[in-house]
Amino acid sequence: MTTRITNAMMSRTVLSDIQDVAAKLSETQKKLASGKQINKPSDDPYATSRALALSGSLAQIQQYERNVNEATSWTAATNTALSSINDVAQRARTLLVQAGNDTYDQTSRSAIADEIDQLVDTMKGDANAQVAGTYVLSGTKSDTAPYTVNGADTYNGNAGAVYRQIGPGVAVQINTIGSQVLGSGVSGDGGLIGVLRDISQHLRGGTTADANALRTTDLQNLDSSMDTLTSAIAVVGATSNRLTTAASRLSELEGSTTSLLSDTQDADMAQTMIDFSTQQSVYQSALAAGSRIVQSSLLDFLS
Amino acid sequence: MPSISTFFGLETTLRALLANQAALDTTGHNISNANTEGYTRQQAVLTASDSLQVTDGTRQATIASLGTGVQIQSYQRIRDQFLDLQYRAQNMVLGQQTATADSLDNVQTALAEPGDNGISNLLTQFWKAWGDVANDPKPGSASRTALVEQAKTLTTSIQGLYSRLTQASSDAQGQYNSLIASPNGEVAQDAQELANLNQAIKKAVASGDTPNDLMDRRDLILDKLSGLGQVSITDLGNGSLNVGFGDAASPLVADTTVNWPQAINNSGATPPTSAGGKLGALYDLFKSGGTIETLQTQLNAVAKDLADKVNALHNPGGSGTNFFSYTSGSEASTIAVNVNAAGVRTGTAASAEENDIARAIANLAGGTTDNAYSSFVTGIGSMVQNAQRQQASSQALVDSVTSQRASTSGVSMDEEMTNMIKFQRAYQAAARAMSTMDDMLDIVINRTGRVGL
Repeated sequence: MTTRITNAMMSRTVLSDIQDVAAKLSETQKKLASGKQINKPSDDPYATSRALALSGSLAQIQQYERNVNEATSWTAATNTALSSINDVAQRARTLLVQAGNDTYDQTSRSAIADEIDQLVDTMKGDANAQVAGTYVLSGTKSDTAPYTVNGADTYNGNAGAVYRQIGPGVAVQINTIGSQVLGSGVSGDGGLIGVLRDISQHLRGGTTADANALRTTDLQNLDSSMDTLTSAIAVVGATSNRLTTAASRLSELEGSTTSLLSDTQDADMAQTMIDFSTQQSVYQSALAAGSRIVQSSLLDFLS
Repeated sequence: MPSISTFFGLETTLRALLANQAALDTTGHNISNANTEGYTRQQAVLTASDSLQVTDGTRQATIASLGTGVQIQSYQRIRDQFLDLQYRAQNMVLGQQTATADSLDNVQTALAEPGDNGISNLLTQFWKAWGDVANDPKPGSASRTALVEQAKTLTTSIQGLYSRLTQASSDAQGQYNSLIASPNGEVAQDAQELANLNQAIKKAVASGDTPNDLMDRRDLILDKLSGLGQVSITDLGNGSLNVGFGDAASPLVADTTVNWPQAINNSGATPPTSAGGKLGALYDLFKSGGTIETLQTQLNAVAKDLADKVNALHNPGGSGTNFFSYTSGSEASTIAVNVNAAGVRTGTAASAEENDIARAIANLAGGTTDNAYSSFVTGIGSMVQNAQRQQASSQALVDSVTSQRASTSGVSMDEEMTNMIKFQRAYQAAARAMSTMDDMLDIVINRTGRVGL
């Protein structure tokens, strides 16, 4: 038996077909407008969970990059401070070698002692280096200046390590403890300040023992303190290298995660545009065909 | 040879005129109702009328049957009861899936995922804010204020989502209650109309009539009712029907009596029985232990996990201040930030640059809380997708059954036009036959015995 086609049936079919095409068109239009493949979780639940996870990791990577930048400015400030201290120490060493020479009389030695004391204050000033209001050589007591310029030689910071998270499970110590390099101004603690204070005392002492000390123990102590300083600078350099490597690794990771995320949630514009124009022409033909099908009737041909 | 009435032919053609006129009237009725919802095309069933037994005058035996023309046997409703059953079964599924998909789609829209305003992104921003605090943990640093504000945004959004879920539940319940309300709800009104129609149809059937149009109206109401819940029909044989609805204990309409309100969902039964249709779907959404309550429980678990994980690191040992506060059992609706910027604890030791706690909390990113929330979102997405797919497939089935029904019962203009011509021509021919008879009678009456006048 052939199917009986009735008018109501035809108009219903035409209408529902047109609506189907229109619904698809509106879906595609939404993709074009948002540029997104997924506009609601129900569009693709699995891809949604992937997109959420990927944008979470992307944000985390960006946070690590920010941490690395922070750490880099910290190590840069530390490096500058330590290098200046090193320059000052070099100047002090030159003065010490000069003053050790017995052709220098007491007046000249006292003048040099004054200069050494000045150099100590310069060092303390250098050690008080800050990054955005944070003292970099104070350990974790970063809100306190490590040394008082023109004041007592005591170290006001602590020995706490400052860490920055530069990756999942990777924390890097970024600070140098001021007292490990400069000491607390106590003779024999190995710090630069203590050694320089000893030197200036010996310069002012005037005895033969003092003059001998200048040439022997003081010079040795200064060299050994400067070795400590140099190795501290080397550690800062190594940390800074590590940060640079981390930064380039993170930026690669950011690139690949971004493209994964884009693959997951962004619409393929070329494809979507082609879909859109195909659907549009289908829609127009459906409308044209529908209008003709619905109109025609036997009535048109009966006289 | 027995005689046959002189006017026999006139009677025969008269019957033809009347029958074809009735058939034309039916065609007119069909055309008029071509766009009436639920109308079933009717057909005047023509049969040859009882023949005249011509008997032999001497032997009194029938020697011939003389045709007496045509008569209308009945007006038939062209309808397939099997399609009605299919339609109602599919329409019930369609009603159910549409209600589920619409309601859950609202919930899904409230999630705003994936997007900048979704809780997923707010969680990410919250972890990042801890990362910033780890970079600058000093008391009074701006990063602390930013963290507390970010945390407040997060807790407000969680609370907001929870109350949107509560709202969705009470919306479903409100809709459900207004549908089942008595006497003004849709179910009650449909039931009353069914009872009234049963009464009218029964009366008409008893007097030998076939009330086609009343039956169409009754079928239409049953179709509508099937979208609300499962409909089952028992034919009482006298034109009246018993209509069972949902899981109700007694028929919604028993002959001419309405039994409403009564319970139509039984969640206590094993397995739980549902009214099906829109009512079943709405009930499943808002009932205790239903879809929305399950989602709220999941959201509570996410909020609890977030608060517990952060608190455990922020306040190890439990003697200090918790970062988040919540009421046990209603975590998502009560989660709040418990500290101010100065109270944020960044390190175990007290010094300014101590950040071990902040770093540990920042490391929670991408952990259990994020995963739990992500699977919460995926769960809702899957539910909506599933409901929409089932909605689409039951819509396709309903469409197909509707087409089959339209094919069987719908009015085809072309066919009606053809019928019109057919009956019109038959009418004209019958009239011509009648005037021929008339001419014959004219000869008999006016010309007989007038030879030579």
